[in-house]
Amino acid sequence: MNKPDLTTLRPRADQPMAHNMKLISHNELQGFGGMGEGIAMQLADDGRRILWMAHESAPKNFTGVDVTDPKNPRVIVQTELPHMKVRSNSLDVVGNIMVVASQVKELGAKPAGLNIYDISKPEEPRLLSHFDCSGPYSRGVHAVWFVDGKTVHISSGAPDFQPRNPKDDQIYRIIDISDPTKPYEKGRWWYPGTREGDVAPPPPRLPAQFDTGFRAHNTNVFPQRPDRAYVGYIDGGAIVLDIGNPADIKMVSHWNHSPPFNGFTHTVLPLFERNLWIVSDECVQDDGKDWPKLVWVVDSRTDANPLPIGTFPAPPYDTFAKRGGRFGAHNLHENLPVPCSFRSETLFIGTFFNAGVRVYDTSNPYQVQEVAYYVPPTPALSSRGAVQLNDVYVDERKLVYTVDRFSGGLYILEMNV
Amino acid sequence: MSEWTTASGGRDALAGKIPVTLITGFLGAGKTTLISKLVRHPDMDRVAVVINEIGEIGIDNDLVKMSTESVSLLANGCLCCSVRTDLQDTLRELFGDRRAGVIPDFDRVIIETTGLADPGPVIQTLSSDTMLGAHYRLDGVVTLVDAVNARDQLAQQPEAQQQIALADRIFITKSDLVPAASVEELMAEIAAVNTRADIRRCTKGELHTRDLIGLGLQSERAGPDTLRFLGERVAREDQAAGEEGAYLAGRLPGRHHPSVRNLSLRFEAPFTWPAFSAAMELLISLRGQDMLRVKGIVNVEGRPVVVQGVGHVFHPPVTLDRWPSEDQGTRIVFITRNIDADKIKALFQVVGGLGSAA
Repeated sequence: MNKPDLTTLRPRADQPMAHNMKLISHNELQGFGGMGEGIAMQLADDGRRILWMAHESAPKNFTGVDVTDPKNPRVIVQTELPHMKVRSNSLDVVGNIMVVASQVKELGAKPAGLNIYDISKPEEPRLLSHFDCSGPYSRGVHAVWFVDGKTVHISSGAPDFQPRNPKDDQIYRIIDISDPTKPYEKGRWWYPGTREGDVAPPPPRLPAQFDTGFRAHNTNVFPQRPDRAYVGYIDGGAIVLDIGNPADIKMVSHWNHSPPFNGFTHTVLPLFERNLWIVSDECVQDDGKDWPKLVWVVDSRTDANPLPIGTFPAPPYDTFAKRGGRFGAHNLHENLPVPCSFRSETLFIGTFFNAGVRVYDTSNPYQVQEVAYYVPPTPALSSRGAVQLNDVYVDERKLVYTVDRFSGGLYILEMNV
Repeated sequence: MSEWTTASGGRDALAGKIPVTLITGFLGAGKTTLISKLVRHPDMDRVAVVINEIGEIGIDNDLVKMSTESVSLLANGCLCCSVRTDLQDTLRELFGDRRAGVIPDFDRVIIETTGLADPGPVIQTLSSDTMLGAHYRLDGVVTLVDAVNARDQLAQQPEAQQQIALADRIFITKSDLVPAASVEELMAEIAAVNTRADIRRCTKGELHTRDLIGLGLQSERAGPDTLRFLGERVAREDQAAGEEGAYLAGRLPGRHHPSVRNLSLRFEAPFTWPAFSAAMELLISLRGQDMLRVKGIVNVEGRPVVVQGVGHVFHPPVTLDRWPSEDQGTRIVFITRNIDADKIKALFQVVGGLGSAA
């Protein structure tokens, strides 16, 4: 045996870390465990719970897993993409309708848009329609929000949208799918000055190493305020839009921490009972190069003056920044107004790439506490040397479903909080 | 809480906190033997053991790593920490170092207190330090009682009685060194001081981790564990032993301790919280030194609220999500020194009555 290492007790990437969370099961999803940022739960007509997940990249499109017994998750369907230069990344489910994003690597390529499926037989998803978003300046759809059964809010390019800067290619679009076989666009909004021909001047860019574009990411609309869209607009910050008249969308709130921070606002999650937003950044560079990427608490009592009042305590830099891959905030569980979703005004669950999945209590918004975490050990065949938890979904039983971005697949956890 | 209200989907105030077990014991009761075996037990993975004198337990051969001179990791995953300045700082540092990822995660803490030390101050530290109170909860007090010397110690040292009165579980050590009848008598004496503690035997430090955990209230969600915590669903044999012990102890000449009393009180009328807390505060202000242990469930205008105090230190009351059984009466057990049950009962009735009339 080697001499014991008496220098450090710091946990290594190949060791799990856990506090108030327990792993119930792990499924590598048939060897295709590189998952995107779309997770949704279907309560199937026969009573089964099916977890649907979009893959991060080709060759797989999406995977359905029967999680009725969370100790024994079972893959029931895994679909293929038409070629290697397209990916799904994002999906949502309402009843037996699933919408799946389609994003291409090269401008002008296809299929770039939105796919609408009938999943009443979960083993046999049936494509009902494809809403085409392809065009000379478009990569298609990056993220979808679909919770009311009728409307899909997307971040996407459009055939007729030419950005001044090619990085600003995803705008906010509202797609009506009341008839899922005939989707059509009802409204759109883009950051003033980002479209070729806009009267407004182009917005000042972040420094080149942090310039990730003025473009929409998550576009959330909740039943409490059907006339508001809460949009993470990447380098444009957190934006709230009045969508009461989809033909004439107006910005009502705008908060941006960058500069001096390093851009990429990802999610704006409103807490309607508390007049707060929880805003997450996305870390997009390895080895802590764009640190710090945080989750923010913003006082939203005044539309005209959203005010940050705190941040979630970030995982320790020294332990994670250099252990491999990205380190920092990304997706939050978004209080989806659907039957199988956990909803809370105080507890938030987010993924932080190599720092795992973490749970925060915001009862005191000025002093948020971290109350639980789980960091899986480096998954087999990981290309980054550490886990990269990418997205998280929490069901109404408080079970946590989280996915790795490259190879780890699905982890199901319970919280002791 | 003003405008920031906690809505549904909030957090269980107890569930996420790190449970802390205190091990106390009479001098020579075998704590060092027990701890040195315990830290090597295979089930001690993810347990942090805080020890006053780490040198005494001889762990050098089991060391895997050492981060600082005060924290060591054993091959089984157990973290051994010596107390550097004081316990308060040690617990703070442990939490901070784990949060910072400097030491491995741990799910519980076991603290060995020294010799005759009164565990009261340690318990007070856990409730009064806001940082510690936010992250740790007292799981329970385990007291080791030495079968050879305990009866003399009990007769001569008030601290010994106190350690028994505060205990949730008591282990009689060295019972193989004395006649069986003597152990029975000791158990009876202990039961007379503390009727609700669970009394067990332990020889040569052979204990399982599970013997030291799960003693306290673990969740706001009511269930069988809540009743067990309240002492209302103990195993039949334990209960029988307790009753018999109390009976025997009353008949053992010169060996019982009539000053320490176990009082089980019951109130049918619901309390208002101001009335209940006023009565309790009055009792503590007048007789805090004589309050050894309080534990119970209180009907606060229909809601079940668990209260507990160790010494005169009270834990924050916990409102359960529902009643753990059909019984919605207020039930409280007091272990006190020289206070009559009638007086306490009358105090709570009078103050409770004033509160409801207000």
